[in-house]
Amino acid sequence: MRILVIGAGQVGTTIVEALHEEHSIAVVDTDPDRLSALSYRYDVMTLEGNGASRRTLREAGIADCDLVIACTSRDEVNIVAGILAERLAPSARTIIRTRNVEYLEIWHERQLDVDFVISSELETANAIARIIGLPAARQTDVFADGQVIMVEFDVPPDAPVGETIGRKLRDAVIPANSKVASVIRGDRMIVPRGDESVEPGDRVIVIGSPQAARDWGRILGGERSRTDDVVVFGAGDTGVAVARVLLDQGARVRIVEPDEERAREVAEELPGARVFNATGLDADFIERERIGSAEAAIFTMRSDERNLYAATLAKLHGVRFTVAVVAEPASVAVLERAGVDVAVNPRMVTAEEIVRFAHDPRIRQLAMLEGDRFEILDIVVRADSELVGIPFRELPMTGSLIGAIVRGDSAIFPHGDDRLAPGDRAIIFAEAARVHQVEQAL
Amino acid sequence: MSRGALERTLASRSLGIDVVGALNLVGRLVKYLSLAFLFPTFVGLGYGDPVWPFLAAGAITAAFGFGLERLTRGGEAIGAREGFLAVTLTWGLAALAASLPYMLDEEQLRNPLDAYFEAMSGMTTTGASTLTDIPALDHTMALWRQFTQWLGGMGIVVLGLAVLPRLRVGGRQLIESEMPGPEYEPLAVSIRDTARRLWLLYVGLTGLMILILSILGWTGADPLMTPYQAAAHAFTTLPTGGFSPQPRSAEPFAAASQWVMIAFMLVAGANFALHYRALRRRMNPLRDEELRLYLVLLAVGTLILFLELLRADIFAAGETAVRHSLFQVVSIMTTTGYASADFATWTTLTSLTLVFLMLIGGCAGSTGGAVKVVRHLLIGKLILRELDQTVHREAVIPVRLNGRIVDERTLRAILAFGLIYVGLFVVGSLVLTIESARAGLEVTTLQAIGTAATTLGNVGPSFGFSGPMGSFEPFSPFAKGVMILLMWAGRLEIVPLAVLLTRRYWRA
Amino acid sequence: MIARVALTRRAIRPGRLGVDAAAALHLVATFVGYLSGAFLLPAAVALGYGEPVWPFLAAGGITLVTGVAVGRLTGGRQRVGLREGFLVVSLTWLLVPAFGAIPYLLADEAQLSNPIDAYFESMSGFTATGATALIDIEALDRSLVMWRQFSQWLGGMGIVVLAIAILPRLRVGGRQLLQSELAGPTEMERLTTTIRETARRLWFLYVGLTALMILVLAIIGWSGLDGAMTPFDAVAHAFSGIAIGGFSPRNDSIAAFGAATQWAIVVFIAIAGVNFLRLYRLFVQRQPGAVTRDEEFRLYLALLAAGSGLMLLELVAGGFFAGEEAVRHAVVQAVSIMTTTGFASADYTEWSALAGMTLLVLMFVGASAGSTGGSIKVVRHLLMMRITRRELEQTVHREAVVPIRLNGVVVDERALRSVITFIALYLLILAIGAVGLVVDARRAAVEIASFDAIGAAAACLGNVGPAFGFAGPFGSYEPFSDLSTGILAGLMWLGRLEIIPVAVLLTRGYWRR
Repeated sequence: MRILVIGAGQVGTTIVEALHEEHSIAVVDTDPDRLSALSYRYDVMTLEGNGASRRTLREAGIADCDLVIACTSRDEVNIVAGILAERLAPSARTIIRTRNVEYLEIWHERQLDVDFVISSELETANAIARIIGLPAARQTDVFADGQVIMVEFDVPPDAPVGETIGRKLRDAVIPANSKVASVIRGDRMIVPRGDESVEPGDRVIVIGSPQAARDWGRILGGERSRTDDVVVFGAGDTGVAVARVLLDQGARVRIVEPDEERAREVAEELPGARVFNATGLDADFIERERIGSAEAAIFTMRSDERNLYAATLAKLHGVRFTVAVVAEPASVAVLERAGVDVAVNPRMVTAEEIVRFAHDPRIRQLAMLEGDRFEILDIVVRADSELVGIPFRELPMTGSLIGAIVRGDSAIFPHGDDRLAPGDRAIIFAEAARVHQVEQAL
Repeated sequence: MSRGALERTLASRSLGIDVVGALNLVGRLVKYLSLAFLFPTFVGLGYGDPVWPFLAAGAITAAFGFGLERLTRGGEAIGAREGFLAVTLTWGLAALAASLPYMLDEEQLRNPLDAYFEAMSGMTTTGASTLTDIPALDHTMALWRQFTQWLGGMGIVVLGLAVLPRLRVGGRQLIESEMPGPEYEPLAVSIRDTARRLWLLYVGLTGLMILILSILGWTGADPLMTPYQAAAHAFTTLPTGGFSPQPRSAEPFAAASQWVMIAFMLVAGANFALHYRALRRRMNPLRDEELRLYLVLLAVGTLILFLELLRADIFAAGETAVRHSLFQVVSIMTTTGYASADFATWTTLTSLTLVFLMLIGGCAGSTGGAVKVVRHLLIGKLILRELDQTVHREAVIPVRLNGRIVDERTLRAILAFGLIYVGLFVVGSLVLTIESARAGLEVTTLQAIGTAATTLGNVGPSFGFSGPMGSFEPFSPFAKGVMILLMWAGRLEIVPLAVLLTRRYWRA
Repeated sequence: MIARVALTRRAIRPGRLGVDAAAALHLVATFVGYLSGAFLLPAAVALGYGEPVWPFLAAGGITLVTGVAVGRLTGGRQRVGLREGFLVVSLTWLLVPAFGAIPYLLADEAQLSNPIDAYFESMSGFTATGATALIDIEALDRSLVMWRQFSQWLGGMGIVVLAIAILPRLRVGGRQLLQSELAGPTEMERLTTTIRETARRLWFLYVGLTALMILVLAIIGWSGLDGAMTPFDAVAHAFSGIAIGGFSPRNDSIAAFGAATQWAIVVFIAIAGVNFLRLYRLFVQRQPGAVTRDEEFRLYLALLAAGSGLMLLELVAGGFFAGEEAVRHAVVQAVSIMTTTGFASADYTEWSALAGMTLLVLMFVGASAGSTGGSIKVVRHLLMMRITRRELEQTVHREAVVPIRLNGVVVDERALRSVITFIALYLLILAIGAVGLVVDARRAAVEIASFDAIGAAAACLGNVGPAFGFAGPFGSYEPFSDLSTGILAGLMWLGRLEIIPVAVLLTRGYWRR
């Protein structure tokens, strides 16, 4: 496979390191020093130039590439590169990295024409959520002003088998207002019937209310999801992303940010979190606010040294588990040696995720699968539809599932006795082959 | 005085305010106000009452408006600062214009101060009256009283913005100074359009109420409710005014009519922007935090009154007791001021409860007066935040209303408003007590407090002789002057009037 | 080692509480334990007058035993921080009056045999309010009367301040404690480097002023200027005068004395209404500018003058008094009510409604911050006016940046916000209290006008003492029902602590981690 990597920073370098043995790689960057450093270490082609320039990309041989990865530190360069790649090499898959969650949302809404968008901040946040024992949920889509969400969960390999997991769906206890839309096991992905079950190690896609999604998180996390008191130090982009993921899981989150204005912004942005304007290096503050009794503390401040100091201080005051987000790859080992439980480098997390995608692009993300075998439909039911008025349990749909209907202002999560009415908005998870059929029926 | 001379006089000192521009706007608004006199003229013709007072008043008003506009030509463009002056003056002059018919042709209101009091009480939708014999008024004069409240309810300036040819001013400052409540909520892109929609809704609701009341009268459910009475009461219900052509307010009407009034007072006391959205099905009004608190406060007030009425054996349990407690609570809290029974004769507890309700008021963006529910809500939230921050000194806690952030500046302004309001209320009560003692008038503390609260909150009735079935006539001229000021300040929510009293306002 | 420390700490901290309630209780118990020493003074008086001593000794014993026992139970940890401070101060002020009420109950005093009345009397004493449930004070034993006066003196400067000053090292910072107890919003100005030393000097000044007042009054009595002023009365009035309390051993308050005595008392209470930190600078450090250039002091004097002037006008216009008498009665009443003392040289309830209204308004003014007086305090009014003016200015000049200064120093926005919050809470609690009194009076069939109910609530919340109607200066709070008496005691408690420490305890955020 021919791969074009745009950006030779930390992320790019990590990707090259992981992929250079099996694939032939070309790297584009504006900084000749980085490129020469790279070419001395690995057998890759390097080209100095702007990744957002068509000429440079052509020169790098984009037309023959199978995979284009845009992972510079600048979002806009990555986006332009991704869009150009879709034009210049229609057959290639494109991955772009972004630091802004908003671009990720735009992509989810299919307004951004690339195959995969990865956000360093969100990946890091998900990774941390997994580390401190909350099941990592990847929110993939939101409908009807947030009343209906579709979430993809990893079922941990050691998840407790009980009323929900490991039991046939027909008999399993499933949180109210939710449905299992799909179970992904290995490279198999199915719309489950009643005799299927969710097993440890699977991935599941759930459609339901936000509350139901939280309930799922609790079930999948088992006892560990009791981690409900987390303190996040530093309210940078990563800190906010972490806080947001944790809040979505229903955890109680406190954020400590030294900059007054930034603290105010974050407090306005995250109504669920409690924000403090303090340095986190202040023992008196930590004592007074009983930071020590938090189950976990996450350090996302700009400087690794500060993170280490603050983490050590927090440990001294009794915090059980500390996670630090560090800028330098070398800091990971240093901080972990010094007593921080886990240190995470966002760029490494991002690179790992991209590499994983490059290895096996089919099962990484729901969004990829959509274009492949499944689609999410958001359809308004016509008055003359043949399905209007028929109870749900009698609906003849196979290979598709109505996750929710939106009637008036509120979402309904249908049971067997509910009926479709004209004008309802139906949110349907369907196999690609059935899409046409579903559209006609409604 | 020629225009140039006037301008020179006004510009002689280095003023920071374009007084000429402000006066010009006032002149234009007053000029158009003269049209309002056409309505009683037609009514007068219909009933065969004398129409000359209205024609004369209209002519005087028009002439004054034209004259003022002429004198100040050239100062048309005004800014935010001039807005305060323009709005304050407009209200003062509008009340003056409205008092002209009284002075010209009403025996009970020959005294200019009494006439001005009555007109100010009308324009500010207060509903306090110096009349002692309301039935002695002819139909036209009585309806003019009602009509002034209807005009003042949604705001003269808002009306001006809505219907007048281009005013050549931004208008935001004007509408903010006049619309009750801490924040201006645009319903449409332009302020002019927002003002129009509000007036349309206002006119529509008034029409609906006239219709319903007339039907009640016509079907015989309430024989007293003639079409005239229906119109008169609709004119004073929607602006939460409270004038009634009946000497005993809403008491003589049948239960059905009183229930209808309760319903419309409730509507008039809620946010009109919210009504507009609800009608357009853009949102569920019950999700609004202010509306919820408004309903809860009304329910609590009603419950207290209901229990107390039963305890004191004023009414027997049943529909009557429920209706009278609900009617009084809704009427006082929305600052309407009708009464379905003489609450001034009830117990100390009911009076105290009603005084508190007078200080609460309707919702922001309604036609009601007083402090407004949303301000109480936000002050409550602020206090909780302050206590929270006393313990957690570093905590950063934005205050939200309906999920939206309320900025710190608005919050500070609300606190300042609350305190100025209380300050003015206390000063008002004191002055009324002192003045009444000086004038040898028997006024209890409760009555003085109630009178200050009722005029400042634009409610209407107070206690004692100035109760719902009584009159403010016995007060001394000075006390009446103080009350006029309180009504004026209350209708403009104090701040536009108060800034005029600061030196910095006038300085460049 | 560190791990083990962390572990024990977690094991000790019970449940998920964010407040170390045990440590707070321990400190409260310590304070209560030392309070037992205070019973020695009335015991000595009882010995001197040949009255029963045992009620005081027994009360002292009970207090000591309770203090020590609770102290033992809650362990020897005294890690009290800002958060625990609120709890400590609130509880101390709730419990100390309870123990202080024991002698009233034990002494077999018929007028205070009801525990609620005894608690009310004691709370009124310690909070330096001066409202009394007694009808005939002169019928009490001398020792019991002295205990009443002495409780005001103890409470005046603050029990906690006293404890910090004289107790063996408390091992707590104390700043938080001092700030919750010292009246007023201004930041604690330290007189010296340590809080402990500051507290000591405050008490030193307090004792000094009291001694001076005893001396002056005694001389007036001794020299024959005022035959009614016995040494006992001198001590009793100095105790409640400097504390801005208002208890008097006489049924007629200070109307029982001559003009000279009344003038002397007015001067002393006017002084006691000034910020003690500034008084210290004036008297001990000889820095007169500290007082005379203080904006709060100037406003305080101006308000005292205005209040007296207004009263004088009303008295003369109403034909109640004339000449020196009119001036004296106007000044005594205005100063006594505004500083929240509560002495009275005449029964002002018989004056005009206007005079009553003026006094009611003065009740809301209060004394200076850092004095022994209560109510809203002059400095808060001063800041409020400035805030309002700034708000109006910023309405017109939206971009103007206008810092608010006090004595030339910029006042922090946070302090300003807490001033506003305090006033809002003050008015809210007053309203609730007044309505509570009206409702309860109706239930208990007590005849009370709404004005009198508001007056009683304001007098208790502001730690003034006498109100209007039957609760007037020569009257008694006795007619109130038990529930109303409880409400009033609660208002005194809230008023003495300036509401916030108690209100904070009612928020969820306080108790949570």
